[in-house]
Amino acid sequence: MEGKVIVVTSGKGGVGKTTATSSIGAALALEGKRVAIVDMDIGLRNLDVVMGLENRIVFNIVDVVQGKCKVDQAAIRDRRIDNLFLIPASQSDNKDVLTPAGVERMAKVLRQKFDYVIMDSPAGIERGFENSVVSANEAVVICTPDVSAVRDADRVIGLLYARSLEPKLIVNRIEPARVERGEMLSYKDVLDILSIELVGLVPMDEKVLISSNTGTPLVLQNDSTAGQSFRRIAKRLNGETIPIEVPNLKPSVWTKLGKTFGLK
Amino acid sequence: MLQEFLKRFTGQKRSSDEAKQRLQFSLIYDKLELNDTTLTDLQTDIVDVISKYFEIDKDALELKVKNDKQVSALVFNTPILNVKRKRE
Repeated sequence: MEGKVIVVTSGKGGVGKTTATSSIGAALALEGKRVAIVDMDIGLRNLDVVMGLENRIVFNIVDVVQGKCKVDQAAIRDRRIDNLFLIPASQSDNKDVLTPAGVERMAKVLRQKFDYVIMDSPAGIERGFENSVVSANEAVVICTPDVSAVRDADRVIGLLYARSLEPKLIVNRIEPARVERGEMLSYKDVLDILSIELVGLVPMDEKVLISSNTGTPLVLQNDSTAGQSFRRIAKRLNGETIPIEVPNLKPSVWTKLGKTFGLK
Repeated sequence: MLQEFLKRFTGQKRSSDEAKQRLQFSLIYDKLELNDTTLTDLQTDIVDVISKYFEIDKDALELKVKNDKQVSALVFNTPILNVKRKRE
């Protein structure tokens, strides 16, 4: 059976696309799928460092598209998670070196070799975005609960619809305490505004930065709330029906104390 | 908790509510952003239709998209010089 290409995109930069891509990819591999993550941000590659694979790059996506190497030569195998591969971006080339037609050709090969191909789109809606969505079968839009991210997400959703893709939404970096205080849009607010299907809610989690510091997969950390959210998102993308968990406030010291003394 | 209560008490608005309202409004506005050619084409068409019934001052008319907190409207303003008589 042919694999599926999923594009992860957002419009705005810095909302957690790279973290989401690497985590969803890793989580799908943990589900037993063969996964290739493709860094589409030519000239500004990042997935390799986030995934801790920066020392093992030999070839990159531009080499693949230009026929200088085979897909298998460019795909770096993750040593911690079976069946997880990264095709890194090129750091020296210009964004315009890739064309939608070239990417489409590569995607055809990738679909034969992998169950899932996750494309990490660059920020913006120019050529890099075009290249990332051209061969997508599914799209995931990631957005944080702030006005600029939501507005950009809306624009990107429009562009995806124009390509007959029905994007699914991830709301990232939710801070339940601030939502409660009325300082942050709730996920319901965001959903009201964007009105597309929700695929997951990810809480703000300090572990994200820490795991990127060391290049270790977030989804392998059982104490990472964001990592666990991404694992559930991957399951949903893989066709499982599991309820969406809403990030809520951590229990206060008193409830914790109560629990330890068996009061609750 | 106390902060929240004080806010409610003093009638201070939740900034998240304002964010939602502003977003909803600006997204509609974004989609209504018409380029100049569309607007000129629309204007010519409207003038053609109205001219069948009224004699209008083509130099004084104006066409614009007005945005309000709640609704957006297309406003066409023109002085009528004369009503044309329909010929039987």
